[in-house]
Amino acid sequence: MPAPPQPRWLVLGSFALALAGTCISAYLTLDHYAALAPLACPENATINCVKVTTSSYSTLHGVPVALLGLAFYVVMLALCSPPAWRIRRPLVVRARLAGSIVGVAFILYLIWAELFEINAICLWCTAVHLITLALFALLLIGQSLTNARTLDDS
Amino acid sequence: MGKAAAREHRQERVEAVRAQQAREARRKVVLSVTAVAVVVAVIAALVVVKVVTSGHQTGPSASAPNLASASVVSALSTVPAATFNTVGAGTLTARPVPITAAALTADGKARVLYDGAEYCPYCAGERWAVAVALSRFGTWSGLGATSSSSTDTYPNTATLAFHGATYASTYLSFTGYEETTNQPQGTSYVPLDTLPAADQAIVRMFDAVPYIPAASAGSIPFIDIGGRYVISGASYDVSVLQGKTREQIAAALKDPNSDVAKAIIGTANVITADICKVLGSTAPAVCSSPGVVSAGP
Repeated sequence: MPAPPQPRWLVLGSFALALAGTCISAYLTLDHYAALAPLACPENATINCVKVTTSSYSTLHGVPVALLGLAFYVVMLALCSPPAWRIRRPLVVRARLAGSIVGVAFILYLIWAELFEINAICLWCTAVHLITLALFALLLIGQSLTNARTLDDS
Repeated sequence: MGKAAAREHRQERVEAVRAQQAREARRKVVLSVTAVAVVVAVIAALVVVKVVTSGHQTGPSASAPNLASASVVSALSTVPAATFNTVGAGTLTARPVPITAAALTADGKARVLYDGAEYCPYCAGERWAVAVALSRFGTWSGLGATSSSSTDTYPNTATLAFHGATYASTYLSFTGYEETTNQPQGTSYVPLDTLPAADQAIVRMFDAVPYIPAASAGSIPFIDIGGRYVISGASYDVSVLQGKTREQIAAALKDPNSDVAKAIIGTANVITADICKVLGSTAPAVCSSPGVVSAGP
């Protein structure tokens, strides 16, 4: 008997989050390379996007963090697309979950850097952090709930 | 009878396995929720620690700025013309870099933008030269007294501070930022001034390749003179200031034969010459003095 389809809220929710993360990461990457204008971001003693995006923590081994974020979200967008959700191979399921775990581990590092090393918060980066956290929660809880429901139904 | 019992037994085993699988699935749901809760709790803890520790920060410069003594401020604003003329470019090691950009102005005047930090030893050296150069075009008030970090290169270099200082001139406008104090905090220093977005954009644009070599791009101090010249890093060997008090450095400024004057006055002459270029036809008489002319670009 074929496995039932994944719930619509899980498929569409994860795809929407990955798409939002991709867009913001693309904006931050464009800003990093083009630097055409300051980021659209309020500025005060706590919030300062430019300070964060030009700090020593804005690159990792020479690679812009914004570019790493974009690469991450492009992969997650592919893994969370509706066609990918129809693939039930364990490799795809595990890659999706592993990706979200890597993402959330990296945002913990970036939050630490913003709070304790750079001493400024970047609102655009925070938006990406929230999306990454939401995607992690959605995939982890959604996947386990789906598995439980499948067993109940059978 | 035997077959029925076997079927019943098999059915019980299937149901037991299903119940076990259901329990396992529910356990995974609980584990998932717990994992998400742990991540959220870690983030909340980081924020709480930050808020609590921020409340206990007391950087001396931030709370009660030390002002440079009147004798120091007087010494740097009354350097004899003969000293400027004798020293010329002095022992300058790095000339300001010409740039092509929109004129940097404020209040209808050419603007000098300085971005540094109190911990930074190269900023400690450069401030002396900037303060001397700008004294030729206007008047300082509220210049601070500080020193570079005790744990960095050229530790405890005595210097001035632009945080809280004001500068009045009919020719120039000056904006100085000290991004941090010299007080350690974690692996950095206690934050002090924050650059507005427009000034950050200038720093990001011009404290970088191709204006500045890749190896020193992003260095402080960064100085933009009217959108025509930029300085990134030290203009002279700041080791000449090592072991000297602020008063000793200030006193040595008038002696053209001192290493301190050759370094600071030489750099001040070069900065003055660049300011004169920016001012053009409105430049004051000091711009035609021999020391400035010989130090010019």
